[in-house]
Amino acid sequence: MALETLLLRFRGPVSFLIIVLVWQIVASLQLVPEKYFPGIPAIASSFWTMLLSGELLTGDGLTLMRALIGLAGSVVIGVSLAILSDVSPVFRAGFQPIAALVQPIPPAALVPMAVFMLGLGAKLYAFIIILVTVWPPYLNGVAALAATGDVPMKTGRMLGLSDRDILFRIKLPAAMPEIFSGIRYAATISLIAVVVSEMLAGHDGLGFMLIRKAFATKIPDVYALMFVCALNGALINWLVNRARWQMTGWHIRMTERTP
Amino acid sequence: MDRLLDARELAKAYGSGAKALRILDGISFSVSKGEFVSIVGPSGCGKTTLLMALAGLMKPDSGSILFQGTPLNGPSPGISVVFQDYSRSLFPWKTNLDNILFGMIRNPSMSRADKRRRGLELMDAVGLKGFDAHYPWQLSGGMQQRVAIARGLAAESELLLLDEPLAAVDAQTRADMQDLLLELAARFNQTCILVTHDVDEAVYMADRVVVLTRRPTRVDHEIPVDLGTRRDQITTREDPRFLEIRHDVMAAIRRFRAEVPLAEKA
Repeated sequence: MALETLLLRFRGPVSFLIIVLVWQIVASLQLVPEKYFPGIPAIASSFWTMLLSGELLTGDGLTLMRALIGLAGSVVIGVSLAILSDVSPVFRAGFQPIAALVQPIPPAALVPMAVFMLGLGAKLYAFIIILVTVWPPYLNGVAALAATGDVPMKTGRMLGLSDRDILFRIKLPAAMPEIFSGIRYAATISLIAVVVSEMLAGHDGLGFMLIRKAFATKIPDVYALMFVCALNGALINWLVNRARWQMTGWHIRMTERTP
Repeated sequence: MDRLLDARELAKAYGSGAKALRILDGISFSVSKGEFVSIVGPSGCGKTTLLMALAGLMKPDSGSILFQGTPLNGPSPGISVVFQDYSRSLFPWKTNLDNILFGMIRNPSMSRADKRRRGLELMDAVGLKGFDAHYPWQLSGGMQQRVAIARGLAAESELLLLDEPLAAVDAQTRADMQDLLLELAARFNQTCILVTHDVDEAVYMADRVVVLTRRPTRVDHEIPVDLGTRRDQITTREDPRFLEIRHDVMAAIRRFRAEVPLAEKA
């Protein structure tokens, strides 16, 4: 029992250790030549070298910064569009087919267009990240705002609230938990979009490092960077979760109470 | 007594033409200041539609509602509603106290500190002292409805509309809540209209019972409940006069039920 709670408490690090362990077992079995599938010690030493030289922190810092700024932009734009869709059925009807068309485009397919239009730089990242990550907060927001029940709305109207107050003081807070599940999803996509864009059109960042090391066949480096991608995911998830607790802690506690 | 509310020939139908479903068919009654009026009727008779009209949340097709002598067009600060569905009517992201303070939103003249003081007083009055920092979903159903009642009182509206407020709580809690509501109504001299399908509750709580017909609904008749101001769950319910009034109301409602074709009853 105590072990179970301990494992649950530290499930993040524990699963990381399990992955590392399985990796090492596969490497030791020599199913793939060691040159192409190095063991954990080789990868760890690559990681350590890149960390000490500073190139890892510089590259990953850029990647994380791009992902976070892009995510923040997506949330603001996505939620604004959701509010606009809620206020104006005409906008909603017109925007939905556009969303349905743009949403399935993979980030990699957007890169050439972004390069032609915006060149290589911050604008390119912003464009790609926002275009691929804006959808989860938007779609969840639209659905959740539309799902506000009759009783909360009547309560608001009974209290004399204007449409605007009902939107911002009742519908939006009620929709927040669902918007946040969209943001969590968007956070992961935003990391993918940044790394892909850096690989295809970047001159710095984690994705650029990955592709350069791959062409130079610095294989332990490539794997070390891959692990860093995974850690980035954990980090951004943690950040989003903190914000989620901050803003919708009531909902998390409410739903945990009734399993 | 001062007239507070006058409903005149209220009519409402859903749909139009031959398919129109007539819900309210010329309802008239009035309520005086300080009165506790119960409205009962057979199931599906449009009680809630009537209450929504009285709250200004639904516009009747014809007829008028005079509130304090002026026509009611939409929600008024003078009228508050306690809804049956307290779990949806309270906002889960607000603490109990903040939910109650939200009821004072149309009272901008009161300072934040005064509102808070009054909110805590009301929590005390409904028996929830010490639960101000809790959230509604941390409380039982009966306690949640107490929060909703406190919010209804917080607005200091002249008229409190109670839309089957106790329909969703268990029988024992229900009796306690009836007494609590009566005590609060007396203490704050609060005029109340209670809509309920429970005849015993309607008679026990009210100074006057308005009995509705089945759909399309009119007022069948009204009965004053001359049982004094102090009610008791045991002795009032055994009072011959209570039983007489209950008999009258029950008989009327059963008569309307009997008139409904069996197919529609199911």
